Amino acid sequence: MKIRYWKILRDLTSDYLKNAMLVLAMALGLFGVGCALGAYAVLNREVARNYQETRPASATIEMEGGISRELVDRVKTLPGITDADRRATLLARMKVHDKWYPILLFVIDDFTRLRISKFTPLSGSRQPLPGTMLVERTALGVMDATEGADILIKTTNGQAQSVQIAGTVHDPSLAPAWQEQAGYGYITLETLRWLGETQAFDQLKIQVADSRSRASITAQAKTVATWLELNGYRIHEIQVPPPNQHPHQSQMQAVMEIMVVFSYLLLILGAILVATSVATLMVKQVRQIGVMKTVGATSRQIAGLYLVMTVVLCGVAFLFSIPLSRYAAWVLSAKTAELLNVVLMDQTIPAWVVLLQLGTGLVIPLLLVSFPVIRASRRSVKTALDHYGVSGSNSGFSSGQMGRMRFGNELLTLSLRNAFRQRARLILSLVLLTAGGAMFMTALNVSEAWFENLSQMYSQRLYDVEIRLNEPLLTNPLIAKLKSVAGVNRIETGSSMAISLDKAGPYAISSTYPDKGHGSFTMQALPIPTRVFRPKVAAGRWLSDPNRREVVLNQGARSQDLKLGDEISLSLAGKPTSWHVVGFTEDVGSPATAYVSLEVFNRLLATPGRGSLLRIGFANRSQEAVFPKIREIEQRLERENTVVRASIPVWIVRNAIAAHLRMLVNTLIAMAVLMALVGGIGLLSTLSMNVLERTREIGIMRAIGATPQKIKSLIVLEGLAIGLFSLVPGFLGSLALSTYLGRFIGNLAFRTPLQLVLSQKGLVIWFTILVTGSILATLYPAHRANRLTTHEALGYE
Amino acid sequence: MQKSIAIELTNVTKVYPVASGLFQALRQVTLSIPTGQLVAVTGKSGSGKSTLLNLITGIDKPSEGRVAVNGIRIDQLSESALASWRGRNVGVVFQFFQLLPTLTILENVMLPMDFCNTYPKRDRKERALHLLDQVAIREQADKFPAALSGGQQQRAAIARALANDPAILVADEPTGNLDSQTAHAIFHLFTTLARAGKTVIVVTHEKEFVVWFENTITLSDGAIVTPTSVNP
Repeated sequence: MKIRYWKILRDLTSDYLKNAMLVLAMALGLFGVGCALGAYAVLNREVARNYQETRPASATIEMEGGISRELVDRVKTLPGITDADRRATLLARMKVHDKWYPILLFVIDDFTRLRISKFTPLSGSRQPLPGTMLVERTALGVMDATEGADILIKTTNGQAQSVQIAGTVHDPSLAPAWQEQAGYGYITLETLRWLGETQAFDQLKIQVADSRSRASITAQAKTVATWLELNGYRIHEIQVPPPNQHPHQSQMQAVMEIMVVFSYLLLILGAILVATSVATLMVKQVRQIGVMKTVGATSRQIAGLYLVMTVVLCGVAFLFSIPLSRYAAWVLSAKTAELLNVVLMDQTIPAWVVLLQLGTGLVIPLLLVSFPVIRASRRSVKTALDHYGVSGSNSGFSSGQMGRMRFGNELLTLSLRNAFRQRARLILSLVLLTAGGAMFMTALNVSEAWFENLSQMYSQRLYDVEIRLNEPLLTNPLIAKLKSVAGVNRIETGSSMAISLDKAGPYAISSTYPDKGHGSFTMQALPIPTRVFRPKVAAGRWLSDPNRREVVLNQGARSQDLKLGDEISLSLAGKPTSWHVVGFTEDVGSPATAYVSLEVFNRLLATPGRGSLLRIGFANRSQEAVFPKIREIEQRLERENTVVRASIPVWIVRNAIAAHLRMLVNTLIAMAVLMALVGGIGLLSTLSMNVLERTREIGIMRAIGATPQKIKSLIVLEGLAIGLFSLVPGFLGSLALSTYLGRFIGNLAFRTPLQLVLSQKGLVIWFTILVTGSILATLYPAHRANRLTTHEALGYE
Repeated sequence: MQKSIAIELTNVTKVYPVASGLFQALRQVTLSIPTGQLVAVTGKSGSGKSTLLNLITGIDKPSEGRVAVNGIRIDQLSESALASWRGRNVGVVFQFFQLLPTLTILENVMLPMDFCNTYPKRDRKERALHLLDQVAIREQADKFPAALSGGQQQRAAIARALANDPAILVADEPTGNLDSQTAHAIFHLFTTLARAGKTVIVVTHEKEFVVWFENTITLSDGAIVTPTSVNP
C-alpha cells in the first residue's frame, strides 16, 4: 500500500472515538436505507405473488337469485372469459366470550376444486362438514379460539348456532382479521341453510383474458352481464377491484416509500456530518497539506487522499450496516407481512438493494465531501504553511461586525462570537441539527395528530354503537322503548345501503373487494337534522332539508371531477337515482359514503318511517361501560323479536383504523430517535473540532488569567448557543414537514389529511435533547482543553 | 571551471496586501547562485528572508520579475506543475521540522518518492534507509516523530528533503529550535551535501555559523545589502 494511504488510515485511527461516531452516523443512514429498501423489495414481490396465487377474480357479478352450476359452465365458454365460479358472502355475528363481533361467511361451492379466489388449507379439515367451518388463520385470534372449538354464530334470519372450527386456511386476499376486528369463516351451502339462511350462490366470479386494466375488465364484465340479462337473470352490481392489486398494496407501497425517503434523509444527514468532519480535519491538517505539497504532492493527490479517507469511513459503515440492515429488512418484511396477511415464501433480498445501498452510500458522502476537499486541496502551499488555526479573517464576518456583536456579559459575547467564527461549519452544524430537530418534532407532531384524528371519531360520532337491523323497521316504537334503558342519552335511526356511482350505463359498477369492505361505497340515510353525527364539512354545507334530494359526499366518495352543485346518479337497489351535491365532508373512519336525508331515502325505497340501523349514545362513553349497555340493548331488541344483523361499537372501528397504520407511526418515532442521535453526534463533532483548533488560543487566554472554570463555561455556552440557534429553524421545518407528512399519512389512513398538531411534548423533548446534548458534547472538549498545561496549549499547532 | 547557475532572480519584487495597505516584502531583487554552493541568507526579522526562500522554492510567486531555477522559469509554472517540479528538484527543510505525525520516520522519508513516483516501489525503502543512515538516525526509522528529539526530527526532515535527490536544498532557520551542539551537527551535514554537489541555501540568524558558508546574502527591508551576486 502506498505510504500516503498509511497516513490516512493512521489519521483515522488516531481519533478513533470521533471517527467511530462518524461511522455510526453513516451506518445509521445506510442501515435505514438498506432496511427500508430491502423490506420494500421483498414485500412488493411477495405481496403480488401471494395475491396472484389466490387467482383473484377479475370481476364479481352480484346477481339476484341463485346461480346454477350449469350457468357457471356456460359463462366459462363465453369469449374473453378464462374461468368462472360461484360463491356467496354474508355478514353474520359471532360471540366471543360475551361480546358479539361481525363475521364474514364465505359460502364455497366446492372446497376440493377451488379455481378462483383460492385460499390455502393450513391444518385440519380441507372440506368442512355441515355445521362446521374453516377459519382464516388471523381470525383465530379475534375468536380467541383454536381448531376444534365451537363458535356461536348468528345469521340475520337464523338462530344462534354453535359452529365448530374444522380447520384453518390462509387467504392473503383478506386483511388480517384483527385489523378489521371481524372473523372470516368458510362454509358450505348446507351449513348456510343450517344457520337459517335461504340465500343461494349469488356471486358470479369471472376471470377475463384481458386483465391488464380495470377498464378492460369492466368492459368484459359488462358483456357477460348483458348476456346474463338476455338469458333472464337480473344483475345487482358488478364489482371490479383494481386488477392484480392486494387491497392494502397501495398503502403498503406508500408506507415503504416514506420509509425509504426518511432513510435517505438520514443518510444525507450522516453524509453531511462526514463532510463537516472531513472539512474540519482538513482545516486541522492545513499545514500538513502544505508540507505534502512542498514535498511534491499535487492538488489532485491531496484531494484523492481525503476522498479515500471518506471511502474508508463509508466502507467501515458498510461493514456494520449492510448485514444488520439485511437482518432488519427480514424482520420488517416479516412483521409487515403479518399486517398484510401474506406469507413470505422467499425472503431473498434482491442484489439491486445492496448495489443501491453501496452506490448511494458512497456517492452521497463523496459528493458532499468533495466541495471542502477540493477547496482545501487547492489552497496554495504558502497559505497552507502560514495557517495557524482558526482566525477571524476566514469567518465571513468583518472585524467590525464581530466587534459590534454584544450579548450581555463578556463571557456570553465571546462564546457567541466563537460560534460564528467558522461560518461554513456553523451552517453545516445548524443544517444537521435543524434537520434532526425538524424530523424529530415532525415524528411526534404526526404521531399526536394521528391519535388526535382517531379521537375525532368520538367527537364526530356522538353515538357509541351502530346497531344494524336485519330489515328496515318502523323505528319510532323501537326508539321509544330503548330510550328507557338506563344510560342511553341519545338515540337515532337511519339506514344504510351499498350503492355505486351510476355512470349512465345499465349496471352498477363498484370497486368492492371480496371482503365487502375495501373499495366499497355506501349510502347513509340520516334524519335531518341529525343529533348523533357531526362530520367536518370541508366544502359546501351539511344536509338541511329533509325533503330534498341532496347528497353530501365524504372524502372517500369525492372524486376529482365532482364539484358543488353537480347532479350525480347513484345506483340504489339497482335503480338509478339522481342527487344534487351540496357538500363534501371529512369524517374519520368512514368508507366512501354518500349522506342523504332518511325521508327522501325512505320515499325512494317506499319504506316510510322505517330505518335499518340505530345509533345509540351513552352517558358514559368508556369502552368498559359501553359493552354491558350494548348487550342490554341487544337483549331488549331480541325480546321484541327485532333481529340484529350486526352491532358495531365505535371503538371497534377506531381500533381497526389504528391497527392499519400503527407500524408507520412507530417507524416514524424510531426514525426520530435516529435523527436525534445523528444530530447529537454532529454537535459533538463540531464542538470538539471548534475547541481543538483553538487550543493555542485557549492557552493564551489561560496565560492572561482565564480560570479553567471560565474556559469550560466559554466552551459550554458556545455549544449551547449552536444548539439553540437550530431550535427555531428546526421548529419551522417541522411545521412544513408535519403538514406534508400529515397530509400523506392522513390520506392513506383516513382519506383526509391529518390536522397540523404541534406536539408540546416533541418541542420540550427536543429542547431538552439540545440543551443536555450541547452540554454533554462540550464537556469532553472543555475537559481536554483544561487538561493541557498553558505551555502545551501555547505550543499546540 | 565556471560553475553553472542554479538559481537566478531578476528584478524580483513581492508585494503583500495587509490591513494597512500593501507591504513590499522584496524590492527589485536580482541575484544568481551557482550550482553546488552552500549559501546563507541572513537579515533581521521581516527583512524578506522567508519570502526569498518561498520564491526560490516556488511556494510563492513574485509580483514582478523572473525566477529561474536550473534554467526553468518557475514563476510561470502552474500550481500543480510547481508541486511536481518542487518535489523532484527542491528539498525543503522547515524550522519546526513539519514531519507528518502519523507516519513513521521511514515513511516520512518515503512519502516524497510516493508522491513524485521517482523511484521504483521496491527501491524506496532501501533508499530511505540509506538517507536515514546518511543523517545518522537509521535506528529511529520505525519510530513516530513525537518519539524523537528535535535534532533527530530535523535530521529526518533533511533526509525527507533529500528523498527525491533534488539538486537544491532550502532550509528556513533549520537550527532555530535546536541546541548549539545539534545545530553544529546539522550545519556539518549541509556542508557535506554542498560538497557532494547540492546547492544548499540556508536562512539563519545565527552568526556563529556564517563562517561555514561559502557566500552570504544579507537582506534588509526587502533588498539585498550584500552581495548581489554570489561568487562562484
